[in-house]
Amino acid sequence: MSIWERWLFWRMSILTEVLHVAAATFAREVINKFPDVESKPLNDNGVELITPRTHIRDIVNMIDERFDDAFPELVFGVDLEEGNFEVIYIFWMRSSSLLLQIRIPLQENDLWVDTVSDIFPGFEWHERETHEMFGIDFKGHQDLRLLLLPDELEGQYPLRKSFKTDRSRLEESGLTVPKPKPSPSARPDDKPAKEADSE
Amino acid sequence: MQFEDFINWLNGIPGWLYDVLVWWFNAIWWWINLLWDSIVIIWASMFGNAEVLAYWFKAIVFPGLVFILLGIIFTVWATRKTWGRIQGRRGPYNLGKYGGLQLFADAIKLIGKESIIPKGAKRWMYRFLPSFLLVIVLLPFVFIPWDTDWVIVDLSVSLVLIFAFLTAIPVISLLAGWISGSKYTIIGGFRAANNQFASEIPLVLSTVGPAMLAGSLSVLSIAQVQADSFWFIFLLPLNFVTFLISAVMSVGMVPFDAPVADSEILFGWRTEFSGIWFVMTYFAEFAEMLFYSAMMVTLFFGGFSGPAFLPGIVIFLIKLMIVMFFFIIVTSSFYRLRQDQIVSFSWKYLLPLTILNILIVMFGMAYFGLYIGG
Amino acid sequence: MKPDISDEAVELWFGPQHVAAHGWATKLTLVGDYIVECDPNAGYFHRSAEKCLEFRNFRQGALIMERLCMPEAFLAEYPYVQAVEKIAEIEVPEKAKFMRTIMMEVSRIHSIQFWWGQLAGELGLFTMVLWPWIDREYTLDAFEELTGSRHAVTYSTPGGVKYDFTDEFLRRLDLAIYHLENHLGKFKDMILKSPTFKARAQNVGLFSTKEALKLGLSGPNIRACDYPMDLRKDAHDPNLKYDQVDWEVPVLVSEEHGSGMCDAYDRMIQRFNEVDVALQIIRGLLPQVPEGPIIDPKVRAKTNRLPAGEAYGRVEGARGISTLWLKTTDKAQTPYRAKIRGPCFNSYYALKHLMPGLRFADFVLVFGSLDPYVGWWDR
Repeated sequence: MSIWERWLFWRMSILTEVLHVAAATFAREVINKFPDVESKPLNDNGVELITPRTHIRDIVNMIDERFDDAFPELVFGVDLEEGNFEVIYIFWMRSSSLLLQIRIPLQENDLWVDTVSDIFPGFEWHERETHEMFGIDFKGHQDLRLLLLPDELEGQYPLRKSFKTDRSRLEESGLTVPKPKPSPSARPDDKPAKEADSE
Repeated sequence: MQFEDFINWLNGIPGWLYDVLVWWFNAIWWWINLLWDSIVIIWASMFGNAEVLAYWFKAIVFPGLVFILLGIIFTVWATRKTWGRIQGRRGPYNLGKYGGLQLFADAIKLIGKESIIPKGAKRWMYRFLPSFLLVIVLLPFVFIPWDTDWVIVDLSVSLVLIFAFLTAIPVISLLAGWISGSKYTIIGGFRAANNQFASEIPLVLSTVGPAMLAGSLSVLSIAQVQADSFWFIFLLPLNFVTFLISAVMSVGMVPFDAPVADSEILFGWRTEFSGIWFVMTYFAEFAEMLFYSAMMVTLFFGGFSGPAFLPGIVIFLIKLMIVMFFFIIVTSSFYRLRQDQIVSFSWKYLLPLTILNILIVMFGMAYFGLYIGG
Repeated sequence: MKPDISDEAVELWFGPQHVAAHGWATKLTLVGDYIVECDPNAGYFHRSAEKCLEFRNFRQGALIMERLCMPEAFLAEYPYVQAVEKIAEIEVPEKAKFMRTIMMEVSRIHSIQFWWGQLAGELGLFTMVLWPWIDREYTLDAFEELTGSRHAVTYSTPGGVKYDFTDEFLRRLDLAIYHLENHLGKFKDMILKSPTFKARAQNVGLFSTKEALKLGLSGPNIRACDYPMDLRKDAHDPNLKYDQVDWEVPVLVSEEHGSGMCDAYDRMIQRFNEVDVALQIIRGLLPQVPEGPIIDPKVRAKTNRLPAGEAYGRVEGARGISTLWLKTTDKAQTPYRAKIRGPCFNSYYALKHLMPGLRFADFVLVFGSLDPYVGWWDR
């Protein structure tokens, strides 16, 4: 390694330490306040907080007060099967280079979270889209109409794994059934491609 | 006694029938007489009297209807080619040499298209207004002095009458936008009326300068006066500029084309017109452009005056093409102004400049004896 | 200014059938000429990209991503590639890193050229539509020589890039840059010094840094408020070579409004600055491209099946921060969940807060100055 690269590594490592400190500090603050929140480090100086849904508004309010340059990046849902859902919030704090990911596990019979779109208006449409795609209700959201989907798909929650888009629904569209060909289909236990078309 | 009255009445019926037949016969004969008399008059006027024949020739062929229509087609072609070259492309080049037949092809295609009249539109006004618009736009051309004796009509107040015709055009635009029955067209119609509010006064006042200098309201006299002395463009350059800007604003071309802003209100008051109605509104816009260019040549550039070896009409056409070039350059160099900005620009800058112009001319005439005309 | 024309509010759909509405419909409530309420509606272009990504393997996913935003195709496909590389933990050859960075900056320039034309068209000046697009043709020629297609390039792939720089490509790239630079001064005169553009674009669509952050606006829109938020510097990506060139994040201190605020005029100036910085990066990186392979086939074979994991790929796109969150299950051929963030999702939403109080004619201008592209919010 040249001297330049050695110096660069040294400098980057100090920076990473500083950033990791910032990440760890905030996570520690949250955990001190709400003991049932877990925290995990993400790669690239980030922090992940796994929290029950009761704390989400408090945590987001803490983010808003603590960092004045919090950038609301993303809110979305994940359908882990067997009735488990997750809502994930991602914030980016530029001055501390902190990528904060908040994960809320939910159950299918009880799919609701408090909205944070009044604190960060940038999340209003993200929550609206998550609602129409997964069926997760955001309590207190002012406008949960359909955003991207046509009217026929209201209530169908297309991004759930139970919404099939393979050839088993082809007759609904009026198209003829083509010759069977192996097609990649998403199964978490990953049957080989040829068997997937057997149904 | 009743029976005798009845017999009397029965006796009168044939007489009544005969009277009715005589009345019908007389009526039909009156119509035939009228037709025959009018044919006789037209025949006599066309072939009896040389002056009247010349008048009909001027009105219809040259420099009348056919010439003006060919002029409009030439204007559209020149505009499209020049806009194309300014924008880095070639303009139409497929049909005819240099794309000259493109306009004919467009017109024929559009006339052959189905004219869809929207359900919310008033049907007969929808059919009537574009034709009316084209007629009104073509009418002021009768006053333009293409050459000393090639003017169709020469009235002593032709300047006023020209503007009487031109002021009707935005009213027709407003009506057209309103009867089309769509929110976008209503907005376009209102904006057209707003454009008139902004542009007509500086336009009319800009012509006062040349009229005062020439001492006459007749367009032919203004051109004649410039032929004997020097062109008004050297005396009144500011006047020319304000007339050019007000003319662009009055036609409704970029940068003042908020009434037909195609990124905001689709096509403004022209949106719903399709087929042959669209051809008429499209040609009306370019007819107005041709007309204002001809006006500018007459009022400021001396009309048909120039070197003696060329006929006056050729000189007029050369100057017309130069002025049209300016028009085209102006309409492809500026972004579209918002409607309220058009109004504020016109009333804050154009109108004071125009009035300043008039004052300068009055001053010059009063104190320096700048009497050019009679 | 209080609207004084009419007391009745008119609802107008700046709808899907409109010359200037390329794929969206906004319900505007107008009183006279003023907008009092703006209700953006999306979904006219929704192609369920996220669901489609769950059915495509890890090399095909980039094709869907780049079709979300064609003008910045190289930038749009990169978050996916980055996320797959993070989960698979594969190495990218040095040459590929340089090539990726260069092509991403060229794509940024191409996107801005496209946007100049689009905005001028919305303002009615067809001349300024075609002049940038003539130069864009040279850029597209370079893309075609490199990848075989002008718009739907599929260049980055997990593990490297697919096509190598040829001499012909470098010649075409030089020609494209030459044409661009030659005309930058003319464009600046034509746009920034034009009195009609100033009259239209100044004091329109004004917002502050704090508002922009809360609304989720990023990219040139927020850098025009003198806030240097740029992922190329803020989040160091070892697979890109932005640190090998000396460059500064382009920000702008607005003349009219000072630091911290920007209007549509400033956002236009900001994009000229972006082009300058992009050219600086390209010029700095082109001589440094080393020799070597562009992709390792064994590494590429590792992307057939990925281990379980989650990764978040981010890139500083031409319109803002575009990201992709990827979750895979063990030995899967396709992603389990892929969530795409488009920067224009927040730009389009921001209209709800920015438009009331402005005139109807300002709508296209404000929205155009935020650089919308329908693929990013409809996906």
